[in-house]
Amino acid sequence: MRIERGEIFGLVGPNGCGKTTLTNAITGFYPPQRGHILLNGRDITGLAPHYVATLGVARTFQNLALFNGMSVLDNILLGRHIHMKPSVGRTALYWWLARSDETLNRAAVEDVIDFLQLEGVRDELVDGIPIGLKKRVELARALAAEPSFLILDEPMAGMNQEEKEYMARFILDARDERNVTVLLIEHHMDVITGICDRMLALNYGEMIGSGVPADVVADPRVIEAYIGGAHVAR
Amino acid sequence: MLFRQAGIFHTDYSADRALFPIPADRWMIGILLLLALAAPIYMNTLYLSSYLLPWLVWTAGALGLNLILGWAGQFHLGYAAVMGIGAYAAVHATRAGIPWEIAIVLAGITAAVIGSVFAFAALRVKGLYLALSTLALQFVMDWTISHVPAISGGTQATLQAPDIRLLGWAVTSDAGLYYVALVWCVLVTSFMLNLRRTALGRALVAVREKDYAAAVIGVNSFYFKLVAFATSSFIGGVSGAILIGTFYHAVTPEQFSVDVSIQALAMVIVGGLGSIIGSYFGAAFILLMPGVMNSFISWAATKFGFSLGIETLAHLPQAFYGALIIGFLLIEPLGLGKIYNNIRDYLLVWPFGYTKK
Repeated sequence: MRIERGEIFGLVGPNGCGKTTLTNAITGFYPPQRGHILLNGRDITGLAPHYVATLGVARTFQNLALFNGMSVLDNILLGRHIHMKPSVGRTALYWWLARSDETLNRAAVEDVIDFLQLEGVRDELVDGIPIGLKKRVELARALAAEPSFLILDEPMAGMNQEEKEYMARFILDARDERNVTVLLIEHHMDVITGICDRMLALNYGEMIGSGVPADVVADPRVIEAYIGGAHVAR
Repeated sequence: MLFRQAGIFHTDYSADRALFPIPADRWMIGILLLLALAAPIYMNTLYLSSYLLPWLVWTAGALGLNLILGWAGQFHLGYAAVMGIGAYAAVHATRAGIPWEIAIVLAGITAAVIGSVFAFAALRVKGLYLALSTLALQFVMDWTISHVPAISGGTQATLQAPDIRLLGWAVTSDAGLYYVALVWCVLVTSFMLNLRRTALGRALVAVREKDYAAAVIGVNSFYFKLVAFATSSFIGGVSGAILIGTFYHAVTPEQFSVDVSIQALAMVIVGGLGSIIGSYFGAAFILLMPGVMNSFISWAATKFGFSLGIETLAHLPQAFYGALIIGFLLIEPLGLGKIYNNIRDYLLVWPFGYTKK
């Protein structure tokens, strides 16, 4: 499996086929039993998750993983973590050592807030906003890190049609304006065929089809695994 | 009404992140600081040195514990031991002739080093297991202090603390000691306030909330837990040293035993996890309430003419005090700090309660 720079790459498959496992292997949560993961030609197999993040890999989670009890703004500011230098000294002497850095990073975060149209909820607690917005905040946190490779694990789960269309537009814009390569895991086939350049279908950890979305979704093996063969035959 | 927000427009990001963006808060802090500075003038020395001073030092200590418990979300049942390490380090250093201002920094560093070496091992486990390992720190320290004569000065011994000398000036007056405590408390408070708006504070909260989500944005959980332990131990160590220098004037192992750890924990929890003003309230509550309860019950006994046995009189205040803690936590599990915030939120829009913030 190979993802080209600047691509939106779709990953589909039935539940339990290994989509999330693949993401976890890339981001360093599980070391793979076999094989290697290369990022820009560099072997990142088995590196710790927080180190993989510093190499420009960002992700969102299937079940939201925002930090409750913090404002939307602070959550997105946390996305800037790898660009900041948190330390006790800088905290104690904020006025002299941290203020300019905080301000610069705040400006970068405001760019992302503008980009994802989150101005209205900036100061809300993240616990209290609707799920569609939470998904968008999580995307904002990932984009704030200025990643080169972004993994989106079902960013549209539980969304209505309008929210889905917004999200699809944001993903396309992120690729075009912020030079992000995207690995998109989704169950909504219309989204996959609509915005992905290439895609891969998995079943029980096996690659059962890859290429241009229109070809892959027409592949009988993919239909059999994903929708069920018996119905098609009848 | 009181905390009027209308008309406050920030034109740059640093103003938006000011410690107190609302003028009413700035006025209140200013007046409180003035009152605190002038306290030796209008307050009698008994209240100053036996209530106000320990309250300030304990608040600083509680804030240090709040850093690890409220921000980083890691249990710590051995905080008194950390304070004890600082206290003994400072006393020994000053007795060896090291100037006091250097001695308290040494006290903080000693506590931070021992605290983080211990945390290095203890942080391999989480939750209740971590709580139990920190309890082990308490018992190990208790044992070491009382069984090593070089530290404690012998079994059941009390080590006299030399008088505080700042830049060669002996600080012995009640007002002088009070100012030492006040300065330390203000320093710790300003650090904690800054923690709310810097990358370090956010990283600690991230570790507390979801460590896997913290990892994917590049936060090394173990490192930040260690930083939290070291910083909180530093604050605890210096607070312990100042408590001995300004209040007890002598150090014994019992001053930092396990029930003192529990008391510190109670200050933080009653005050509110992650709340700075809550630590002030919590420390005041835990320090003052037993005394207040005591005098209230003896007052009521004489007023209403019922006689209480000595035993009952000794235990009743404790029972009431326990019941009060439970009562407060039932009403507001996030502690006194949250109650203060609720009142403040109410006053933010009063009398227009329908414009809910």
